[in-house]
Amino acid sequence: MTKKNILTIIMLLASAALTFTGLYMAFLWAPTHDTMGDVQRIFYFHVASAWVSYLAFGITLLGSLLYLKTNNMKYDILAYSSAEIGVVFCTAAIITGALWAKGVWGVFWIWDDMKLFMTMVLWLVFIAYLALRSNSDPGKARARISAVFGIIGFLCIPLSFAANRIWTQFHPTVIASEGGSLQTTMVQTLVTAVFAFTFLYLGILMMKTDLEITKEELEEIKQEIGDLDG
Amino acid sequence: MINSMLILSLMILASFRFIFKFIDFSETELASPILWITFFFSGMFALAPIYQREVEQGTKEGLMLAPISASSIYFGKFLATFIIILGLNLFSTVVFFAFFAQPMPDMVLLLGIIVLGTIGFTALGNLISAISANLSQSQVMLPVLLIPILLFTVIMTSVEATFQIFDGAVLADLSNGIKLILAFDIIFVASGYLMIDYIIEE
Repeated sequence: MTKKNILTIIMLLASAALTFTGLYMAFLWAPTHDTMGDVQRIFYFHVASAWVSYLAFGITLLGSLLYLKTNNMKYDILAYSSAEIGVVFCTAAIITGALWAKGVWGVFWIWDDMKLFMTMVLWLVFIAYLALRSNSDPGKARARISAVFGIIGFLCIPLSFAANRIWTQFHPTVIASEGGSLQTTMVQTLVTAVFAFTFLYLGILMMKTDLEITKEELEEIKQEIGDLDG
Repeated sequence: MINSMLILSLMILASFRFIFKFIDFSETELASPILWITFFFSGMFALAPIYQREVEQGTKEGLMLAPISASSIYFGKFLATFIIILGLNLFSTVVFFAFFAQPMPDMVLLLGIIVLGTIGFTALGNLISAISANLSQSQVMLPVLLIPILLFTVIMTSVEATFQIFDGAVLADLSNGIKLILAFDIIFVASGYLMIDYIIEE
């Protein structure tokens, strides 16, 4: 076992332990919310998945920039792996958010809300990014064009933020209400859930990058065998 | 090719015209989305072949060998497509006013927004078209890549500004929207200029 494998296992174990603790805290330990009731318990993992998806897309941007700068395939693999995990967590955030919204606002989705809108744009941009990856042949050309698209896609996030000037606040602002409606136990539960999902993200990211590197090595070996046969 | 694009614009507007035969919506309120959806889809077909045809006809190598930088190729293609798409959009606008009996808004403002929006659309569309020319199923991939980044930036702002024009806005009301579209134009042209090197290099 290499050092990286051990680190991956530690990450996943930490994530599993924290997830179970988080589940216990979310369902049994944290008090029921005054106004929203039990529906609010989805909040802990909703915020955690949203945070991880933003982190993952940020890493994709970083990987894309580093790839264009250094031409090192390692960064391309990092960007792609992170985007794929990001889309999964973003989907989870959207679904849990919609369930929560149905309970509290009575509808699944409010189009006027800025945070919901931005998350939707991010989700669509990175789904397009994955479609781009799956429709091109592996190699330097794919790495370059997907890095360019990753950067443009991320660039469009602040731009569409500016374009969407309808600024009506339906979405509960977590940070501002920390002192008020969010009790200490709730904050502790939230922090546990966020750490659990961050470790999960790091664990999956390491496994995924390893897998992609192995895939590439396999391709090279296949090429060599093909050359020998030919 | 331009012929078929003109016919496409005509067809899209005709479909919208027939919707209003059955459903009683306010035409003035929906004028702006109808115009921009027509611009978007007919423009997309104008964007699709820009780089694709170079690949298919094998002229890409010639372009690469020419003693010019990649950004010059980008600007050449940008200008050519801009003129074509602007022509298409003006044609669609004329057909629109023929099909939908609308009170004439401030035409100078409307044309101004159309020109500004088209610059942004073409600038980013060119870059995405260069990307999609490298992909399998490039015909499908162009809209897939284009919609999430274009729709929520330049198209959304243009739709809003056009809506205000049909609502009887004057230049002063639109200054924020115009500034925003101008900013998008500059950013998209700059990003095309900077990034095209990475896409068409071999």
